[in-house]
Amino acid sequence: MEETKKFIVPIGPQHPALKEPGHFEFSVEGEIVTGVSIRLGYVHRGIEKGAENRSWVQSLYLFERVCGICSHVHATAFALGVEKLCNVSAPPRAQAIRTLVGELERIHSHMLWLGVAAHEGGFDTLFMYSWRDRETVMDLLEMLCGNRVNYSINLLGGVKFDIDHAQRDAILRGVDFLEERSHHYLKICTTDRTFLGRTRGVGTMTREQADEFGMVGPTGRASGNKRDVRIDAPYASYAEFPVKLVTAEAGDLMARFDVRIRELFESFRLIRLILDNLPQSELTARVPRRVPAGEVVSRVEAPRGELFYYIKSNGSDQPERVKVRTPSLCNWGSVTQTAVGSKLADMPMILSGIDPCFSCNDRLVNIQRGDNSQVWTWEDLRRYGIEYYR
Amino acid sequence: MKKPNKRLRLGTMIGDVVRSIFRRPITQQYPFVRTEAPPRFRGKLVYDPEKCAGCMLCVKDCPSDAIELITIDKAAKKFVMRYHADRCTYCAQCVISCRFKCLSMSSEDWELASVHKEPFEVYYGREEDVAFLLEKRPAECPEE
Repeated sequence: MEETKKFIVPIGPQHPALKEPGHFEFSVEGEIVTGVSIRLGYVHRGIEKGAENRSWVQSLYLFERVCGICSHVHATAFALGVEKLCNVSAPPRAQAIRTLVGELERIHSHMLWLGVAAHEGGFDTLFMYSWRDRETVMDLLEMLCGNRVNYSINLLGGVKFDIDHAQRDAILRGVDFLEERSHHYLKICTTDRTFLGRTRGVGTMTREQADEFGMVGPTGRASGNKRDVRIDAPYASYAEFPVKLVTAEAGDLMARFDVRIRELFESFRLIRLILDNLPQSELTARVPRRVPAGEVVSRVEAPRGELFYYIKSNGSDQPERVKVRTPSLCNWGSVTQTAVGSKLADMPMILSGIDPCFSCNDRLVNIQRGDNSQVWTWEDLRRYGIEYYR
Repeated sequence: MKKPNKRLRLGTMIGDVVRSIFRRPITQQYPFVRTEAPPRFRGKLVYDPEKCAGCMLCVKDCPSDAIELITIDKAAKKFVMRYHADRCTYCAQCVISCRFKCLSMSSEDWELASVHKEPFEVYYGREEDVAFLLEKRPAECPEE
């Protein structure tokens, strides 16, 4: 009988705090949340399956579109995996340019998050100003790669574009400006009394909880989790240009602001270091059109955490299977964990605190009942997709 | 709870707001003032039929089926490219794949929005070849 007395507040699927679809049901007692259920899958696009009848080159661009914010790391993860399968490694200059664009992308992603999180906390001034400054890095990326969102700088076996002197100077100027602004934002996020009321002690995750729920990226590092793929398993040119680990101990929302903004300084330092020591070499290595049979795991550090690619080739010109695990999916556990016992009004902040990306993490899950087959063919999927809406 | 070591303040962004009052708006006045795209910007695809050898690599590598290369006369190297600007993802893979440097992406021509479908189907090639193809077209694809 107790169950029937539960009061449930449904939020979403249309724009639950963020501008992406996801459905949340919070059971509340007064204004304290006692239970959370999350339903995802509204923006599932079948990208993994789609890659299976595209060539390796075409798939690169498909995976670049998994995420609109961290498009470059997806393409990097895929390209690195395919290069490993072919036993080819991209030339050092190409790897350095990949790393550089990856760090510029991290800056843009963290500044985007800073704005979104500030907006959820009702601090719209910070939102507006941080997004105004984010335009600087967007313009730099556009100048460098030719597009603001899908940079398409990666090729299988290298990169498309080089960096010339004028671009180098423009990047350094932009980075100087952004560094100055980031110091300002760090000061605001750690000293503004009103804003701290929304962040300090809210959504706290201890290190044990973070480990238990498999938190990745800045969300985990804010709870003292010392994990970063760039350090633990350096890829591209992170071995030549090492990053320092940025962590915090508190595990609350303020710590996540702290970690993400301090990661920006690390990115600025790395960008300057790469630009000063850009190795001289070719930009591309030859990758065969038919990738040798085999399977490979490729891991990179996306702005939101560890991004994992599993790639299997059967020796043809198309991938046999590609599995993508995005960091947002790992971090949902922290929301269900920290939401219980928090106020309903803190939910948007807790949600945005993990920097979720809904369209990245939607996957098809086929629950096996009885002796149903678990392997679905294209025909099965098509039929299911059509019949679902009837 | 641990006591914060920094002095807490109120209205930390007032300085930014006050300074902004005396500045020009940061917003770009786009439709009224056209923004210059950087030289590397990937806009509409441009095809130079003179250099094309008809290797079809661009068609093969295009992730979104945006390019069709129609052979008018293979021996005389006469090709017409039917480019679907609405399908194109502007990734420039075709530009990289082309060994004869006959493809490029324009940094000038990027205002491609239209309420009609016609401007999205672009024909590139020598004038007489395109005219020949368009004449032949109703017979070639009767369903259109």
